[in-house]
Amino acid sequence: MRRPALLAAAAVAYVLAAWAVAPGFYDGFGPPAPYNFTCPPPQAGANTKPTSGHATIKVINGISDAASAYDDDGQIVIGFLPGAFDVTGKTSVSVDVVPLDTCPKPPAIAFVTNVYHVTADAPLLKSVTVTMRYSNLEPDPSDVYLASDPNGTWKSLGRSSQAQPFTVNTSTTSLGYFAAGYPSASPPPNTVTVGGGQTLPIVVAVLIVAVVLAGLPLAVVRRRRSASSEADADDEA
Amino acid sequence: MISVVLQRPLARALVMSAYVLGVEWARALVMRAPGAMFPALILGGAALVLAAAGWQPKRLGIGRDRLLLRILGGLALGVVLLLPAAVRPGSAPLLPFGLAVAAIAISIGEEIAFRGALYAALEDVGGAPVAILGSTVLWTAAHALSHPPAFLGAVFAAGLVLALWRWACRDLVGPVVGHVLADLAL
Repeated sequence: MRRPALLAAAAVAYVLAAWAVAPGFYDGFGPPAPYNFTCPPPQAGANTKPTSGHATIKVINGISDAASAYDDDGQIVIGFLPGAFDVTGKTSVSVDVVPLDTCPKPPAIAFVTNVYHVTADAPLLKSVTVTMRYSNLEPDPSDVYLASDPNGTWKSLGRSSQAQPFTVNTSTTSLGYFAAGYPSASPPPNTVTVGGGQTLPIVVAVLIVAVVLAGLPLAVVRRRRSASSEADADDEA
Repeated sequence: MISVVLQRPLARALVMSAYVLGVEWARALVMRAPGAMFPALILGGAALVLAAAGWQPKRLGIGRDRLLLRILGGLALGVVLLLPAAVRPGSAPLLPFGLAVAAIAISIGEEIAFRGALYAALEDVGGAPVAILGSTVLWTAAHALSHPPAFLGAVFAAGLVLALWRWACRDLVGPVVGHVLADLAL
């Protein structure tokens, strides 16, 4: 009895410890750093406001250097190839990444990240890569969206294959306002939706059913075997 | 010389602890490089499995007897590990195939190293209490570079559950199944 009791106590201690940190147990990939929301969802708990970032890209031999611009939280990273900018008459290019302090809700799109305004003081000549991190508390986004005005029309830039969990990548030939999300008319992508729920609760429910359904017959069989071996022992005595 | 040292339980446990911690910390550091996550997880998992070299499967808790019960226990452990995340609002993305394979590799490697070989080596030093606590503390330390400090309490508690299962049921199949499920689902 001591062993099952210890095991049960440890399981309860684990559930309490894991409940204290969202989402709980993470391994292999390591948990994502908490996302700093402009407008945190209710389940986010304590929240730190997102930060901005700045990059000064050198011009070497008349070509802008390869560089990345990102916010200090690492929630958005813009990658520039050599020669990404038209640097006529310039010795450097200044890039700013600033989180919008409001949360636009365009029709038919649900954003899962903050909106970031990315500006440069030179025009783009080549496409740039955009990598946005998102929270594990939000659904997986299907697209990165771009707008020249946060209250105007948002254009989908799609997304590339996922290189890292909880990041979404794409490329663009213009800068402006960026956010990741999904069409709000459809369920969040890459999630199994049954009755409004999502993947993980279903996985756990299926596991519980499997354990109960398979465990009961096993327990009965073991009890019968135990009873018959006891009876055999009595007969021999 | 090395074989003489490794015949002493304490020396063997210390060498094994250093090896497993070294592999886990190296993996965590390599994973920070762009594009290195997949190879780091696969190679890290393989290197951890090597910790079991020379051990009898039974000493590691591996066996075919009571296999259905062991697997069922693993499903139950998976439920416990996933429960806090499952009842929270929000979702986790489905892992791309490559990362899912890597998640399986590292889960199996960690269980064989921590609850398998390291547990057995520590058990030879001081019995079950040393094996349970020692493997759990080392498991927590192994995650110190890959997890923010706030998560280490949950990591310790998860390690304790898995180590207690290993002790109570003399089984490693359950922890492997539970750990793989948790890594795949999160």
